[in-house]
Amino acid sequence: MLGICYYLSIGMTDISDIKVKIELDNILLIKENITKKALVEKLVRCICEKNPSLNVEELLAAVLKREEGISTTLESALSIPHARVEDLDTFVGALAVMPKPIEDDYGLPIKVMFLFFSPAGQPYFVKHLKLLASLSEKFTPEFVQELTTCTTPQEIAKKVNL
Amino acid sequence: MIQDPLKTQFKVKGVVVITTAMLTFITAWQAASIVLCDFASSAFYAGGIAMSAFGPAFPWYILGVMLFAGLLMMMYIESCSMFTRGGVFPVVNAGLGENAAKAAAAAILFDFTLTGPISGLSAGHYLSGLINSVLRAIHIPFELPNETVAVIFALLVTLYFWYQNVKGIEDSSDKSRKIIRFSMVICLILFVWAIITLIMRGHINLPPFKPQLNEVSLGLASNFTFMQKIGFLGVLVALGHSVLALSGLETFAQVFREIEYPKIQNLKKAALIVFLFALLFTGGLTFLSSLIIPPDLIASEYHDNLLAGLAMHLSGPNFLKLIMQGAVVLAGVAMLSGAVNTSIIGANGIMNRVAETGILTDWFRKIHKRYGTTYHIINMICLMQVGVILLSGGKLYLIGQAYAFGVLWSFVLEMTSLVILRFKNREQKRDFMMPFNIKFDHYYIPIGGAFVVIAVIMLAVVNLFTKKIATVSGFSFAALFFLVFHISQRLNAKKANDIFEEGHREKLNQTEVENISKALEDIKGEKRILVPVKNPENLYHLEEVLKNVNDDDTEIIVLYAKPLDTWSVGKTRQATAVDEQELFTKVILIAEKYGLSVHPLLVRCNDYSYAVAQVALAAKVKEIIMGVSGSFGANDQLERLVMAWGAVQSEQDNEKTSIVAKIIWEGREVSYKF
Repeated sequence: MLGICYYLSIGMTDISDIKVKIELDNILLIKENITKKALVEKLVRCICEKNPSLNVEELLAAVLKREEGISTTLESALSIPHARVEDLDTFVGALAVMPKPIEDDYGLPIKVMFLFFSPAGQPYFVKHLKLLASLSEKFTPEFVQELTTCTTPQEIAKKVNL
Repeated sequence: MIQDPLKTQFKVKGVVVITTAMLTFITAWQAASIVLCDFASSAFYAGGIAMSAFGPAFPWYILGVMLFAGLLMMMYIESCSMFTRGGVFPVVNAGLGENAAKAAAAAILFDFTLTGPISGLSAGHYLSGLINSVLRAIHIPFELPNETVAVIFALLVTLYFWYQNVKGIEDSSDKSRKIIRFSMVICLILFVWAIITLIMRGHINLPPFKPQLNEVSLGLASNFTFMQKIGFLGVLVALGHSVLALSGLETFAQVFREIEYPKIQNLKKAALIVFLFALLFTGGLTFLSSLIIPPDLIASEYHDNLLAGLAMHLSGPNFLKLIMQGAVVLAGVAMLSGAVNTSIIGANGIMNRVAETGILTDWFRKIHKRYGTTYHIINMICLMQVGVILLSGGKLYLIGQAYAFGVLWSFVLEMTSLVILRFKNREQKRDFMMPFNIKFDHYYIPIGGAFVVIAVIMLAVVNLFTKKIATVSGFSFAALFFLVFHISQRLNAKKANDIFEEGHREKLNQTEVENISKALEDIKGEKRILVPVKNPENLYHLEEVLKNVNDDDTEIIVLYAKPLDTWSVGKTRQATAVDEQELFTKVILIAEKYGLSVHPLLVRCNDYSYAVAQVALAAKVKEIIMGVSGSFGANDQLERLVMAWGAVQSEQDNEKTSIVAKIIWEGREVSYKF
């Protein structure tokens, strides 16, 4: 446990920057076979460990319910499972990189999974959408591919935060 | 098996541009011009034919018919406010049922089949009259045979406008506008000059009001002595012989579909233009002709070219009068030729309304590959008109005698239906109602409408007896076409049933193009809105866009992102594709309702949001306006769209684009500015 906290900063034009709190422990390099659902659960647990006020079951249920809706997997092989959570006043996230891609529910490959929770209040919805737009813009297929070559979480963190 | 993360996986795989003549809209002026080309052109022959029928009282009755046209147009506006694709067929179908509607359509087709030839022949007579006047003026002892010239000219004009209509209405409506502008100037000069002539003469002998009815004008009624008495019945007989001045009024309802936003306001504007111009031109000039030309000369020399006669009897030097006659003939030839055009447009409109219900077989509805027009119908109408021209042998009076059956009986059925619909479809929205109503309970009792119905019924019944040729030929033609509709409906029974169950399908031209940019080449305006559609039953958002767009500069791109087999997004792996013909038919009907053009576009894709983002980016739209998905909800939809937008934007090297995405449904919307 390194105890270092990273903030993924998303530069915005007309609103203040969005900061997503990601503990270094929440950046995972997954080399073993794993299902998407198991990976989601793993990342949710990581987030909850660092944020004891959050309830694992509730968050997991929320994110899985969202995953039943329109896919969060992009062409770039980035998957962005997420949910909007009551009683949260900051964006929290976890990141997993899979050099060997896993499969989403529709057969699409996932090489990077960025799971996050955002505050549920209406004022945060715009930031929530901006975060999704920014992540999909930042995680291009080339960048995702580059991340899969990383050998340590620190290296991933460095690349992601740039 | 895990697919390769190909960068091109979510790129659209096929781009199809949808075109149809149904998305071309015209201004109030263009609409008025189309109607006037037919309706007001009767000024060139109605007076002469009426004079031949019942003598010098004709201007009173032509004027009366023109005033009555104002009431009919108000009824038409009410019908158009209820039926975008209006006119006789849908109105009578709703009011009196399908058989009555088929009979009404057959009757009005007879009217259009005659107005084209009568106009073409009249133009030929004017032209021939002018050439003979010039030949006489320069002392050349040669006279052109009027009737032969009329036939040749009518055939040429019909052929010309047949070609124009096969090419498309936009082209022909522009021509109508130019013709009417020119005719307005000539009409004004003629009007002012005629007034000056009367002032210079110092006295006015008003024409008699009493019609001179004879065996010919009484027709079958000559066998009934009570009908020969000049009184109210005599007035009706005379009005019946003047009804051909109403020729082309049905075109008013036919053009409504094509009138641009705001539709009803523009229709009212067009109605006012038509009414004033027709009153001044047909009513006014016919009246002035009777005041200036001696009645015996009208009967002997000018019954086929009354306004040329007016020009030649104005006060002033002969060469100026000859120039005026030349100008009148030019306007007449242009306007009457325009009437040939509008008769084709009108008949085509009627047949299309009939075809939309599945009554006509596919042969009739076949559209031209290049121009998107219903060319089989146009060919058929023009062929019938050519037949009438040849059969008439150039005798204008003969066609005049055959006229009025169709127009009157279609009026009877249509106006009666409108009155019935006040009770039957009480709750149907009407942006305009024929004036003079009494509100009782939840009903608006149509006193004004009932007056019009009674008036047209009386005219139609009297005409049945007085216009023998019209009754026999009109009844035969209408019966024949009723039979054609009936047989065609039987042959098309299965298809008609499908159309009834599935709804009408618009015929669309689909052109595959290389890429999105190519598909957007014809879109010129910079203010663009993208409206993705995928469910024919969920187009509320499109209606909202059309309702709120209030300028001509906004380009509305309506996109259907059709899922491919490899569709990857959604609750199930396979998204369901809808029938694009059904979808775009609904889009066209909504666009027609608001009179705003849209650009329909279809792309094949395996991710809906990525396709929307790609088109939005390529089209440089300012807004994306989507309907809410019944399966996912607005927030999920917006999330997927912003993700797709970000991903597609990342592939662009150029400057980032600012765009607003909205998802709207009844009473609510969520939006996001990228």
